[in-house]
Amino acid sequence: MSTEPDVGSPSIAAVRERLDRVTDPELDESIVALDYIDDIAIEGRQVRVTFTLPTAWCSPAFAWMMATDAREEVEALPGVSRTRIRLREHMHEAEITRGINDGLAFAEVFPDADGGVAEVRATLDAKARLARQYEAVDALLEAGLEPEQVASLEFADLWLEDPAVAFVRGRSVGVSVPAEPIDSYLEKARETGLAGDDHPELFRTPECDPIPPDRFELVQKRCRLATVNMGGQGSVCEALNEARRDEDRPPLSPDEHIP
Amino acid sequence: MYEQNGEEIFVIDSHVHLWDASKENVKHEGGEQFIQCFYDYHTGFTPEDKQWSMEEYRQYGSDRMAEDLFSNAAVDMGIFQPTYLHEFYHDGFNTIDDNAELAEQYPERFVLNGRFDPREGEAGKRELERQKEEYDIQGVKLYTAEWLDDSKGWRLDSEAAFEFLEKCAELGIENIHPHKGPTIRPLNRDAFDVADVDDAASSFPELNFVVEHVGLPRLDDFCWIAAQEPNVYGGLAVAAPLAVHRPRKFGEVMGELLFWLGEDRLLFGSDYALWNPDWLVETVMNAELTDEQRDEYGVELSTDVMKKIMGENAAELYDIDIEAKKQAFQSDGVTEEFGLAGHYGAGDAAAD
Repeated sequence: MSTEPDVGSPSIAAVRERLDRVTDPELDESIVALDYIDDIAIEGRQVRVTFTLPTAWCSPAFAWMMATDAREEVEALPGVSRTRIRLREHMHEAEITRGINDGLAFAEVFPDADGGVAEVRATLDAKARLARQYEAVDALLEAGLEPEQVASLEFADLWLEDPAVAFVRGRSVGVSVPAEPIDSYLEKARETGLAGDDHPELFRTPECDPIPPDRFELVQKRCRLATVNMGGQGSVCEALNEARRDEDRPPLSPDEHIP
Repeated sequence: MYEQNGEEIFVIDSHVHLWDASKENVKHEGGEQFIQCFYDYHTGFTPEDKQWSMEEYRQYGSDRMAEDLFSNAAVDMGIFQPTYLHEFYHDGFNTIDDNAELAEQYPERFVLNGRFDPREGEAGKRELERQKEEYDIQGVKLYTAEWLDDSKGWRLDSEAAFEFLEKCAELGIENIHPHKGPTIRPLNRDAFDVADVDDAASSFPELNFVVEHVGLPRLDDFCWIAAQEPNVYGGLAVAAPLAVHRPRKFGEVMGELLFWLGEDRLLFGSDYALWNPDWLVETVMNAELTDEQRDEYGVELSTDVMKKIMGENAAELYDIDIEAKKQAFQSDGVTEEFGLAGHYGAGDAAAD
């Protein structure tokens, strides 16, 4: 990027817009919307982002994913030559900050960790996909499609404009549907490898198979459950965040007389 | 007893502790982190005027506990769920022998559960036998994220765990309470993964698996397993205090639980002293579903449903005869201590 002399320094707003694409993987919500970003500093082509999570003991794997994603998103911005990410007030803030900025692998920094980051991410992405499927299917039903039509809808049956159009009955009829839930679902469907796998069907069971018509309602209920789980956990995080920022909170570090 | 629409609701708090996190008892940094993490959960989900100080929270003792549970009759009975954590605390955090102090003082009021750790091998089995013999335990609390030497946890579907579950079945310890809940510093998050309950529950249909904290933050995994395994139950500790500041979320979580498990497989628990039943029972009893939630889930938090969740379901698992207990509580130690005779209808009932 340094070879493009016409691109000036990035703006704070542009950096924020890139960070807005990063989600807390457990909640499937933007880290900007969740108010995790403490500070964005720009010096020439260098960007420094500082962030804090709701709890000091938030899973290191989650923290790692958010920090990595934040770095990648910001570095994709024209005009940025270097990005430094700093995690604050976390039990592993030093390891994570150093690991991300030095381009280390998670396993190098946390050799004791049970599973790799990729595995954790895949599990959470699969849940996020279900939650987004719930919204997308709901929008299509709301738009007047029958459950069988939704279940048999294929990727190729969508026309992605705003509003989006879903074609049914041998693509002879198009039904308008709000673009947002559809786009949001497609993004996760791609990330989880559903687009372009062995099945043309757009929506799937939690096991990634096409939805048998008699299981449609059950699958939708399981998708709802994924949504409620994320929302419930979001509430827990939010409450802990408030407790943590309370000025009367006792210090995080143990007293020195405890061995 | 709680009263709603003129009906008495017998409350069995299925998840209580008598712990010691005093500075003298902390032996590892993890012990300090653990209690501070608990304290965040406490303050995060407790109304401001009901919050304890950190000093009170470290060690409250048996007198205070009896008062918190019984003095305003918020709770009729409690089930002790031990948590050992010997790597963190010199004398353990909340052991069966600590809990027995209060349980033996008021035997009518408490169910005393034990625990096992399959990594302790033969010695662990002998200890389980001792617990059965000494305290006649009917249940065990299991903490799969507990540290032991270099190990940071164990699985319920491991061969070693199955040997202990067999032992439980043999000894008539029917109620298995695995803790599957939120991350607690510094324990490993993945050690609370609820997936191992599935295999254990289908392999031991004669045992009941009460998943404490309903798997949060894996409510979805938990509900799906429970929908298929009829001997899987949900313990509402941690879910219940969502009713304080997040009643809508509480409604959604209850809606899902009632939809997937039904009203016969959910047990109220305060997680005392994480939260105090002297206000939590009322908060939960006052919670309502929104009209939208009622339509969506087709369920109600009716008095009948709440009666089951607050006490009857636990009574079923622990063979507690609620009517006989109400009679007995007209004159037991707790009733004398806190002047509850009228409350249980003894003598001049009008005095209540």
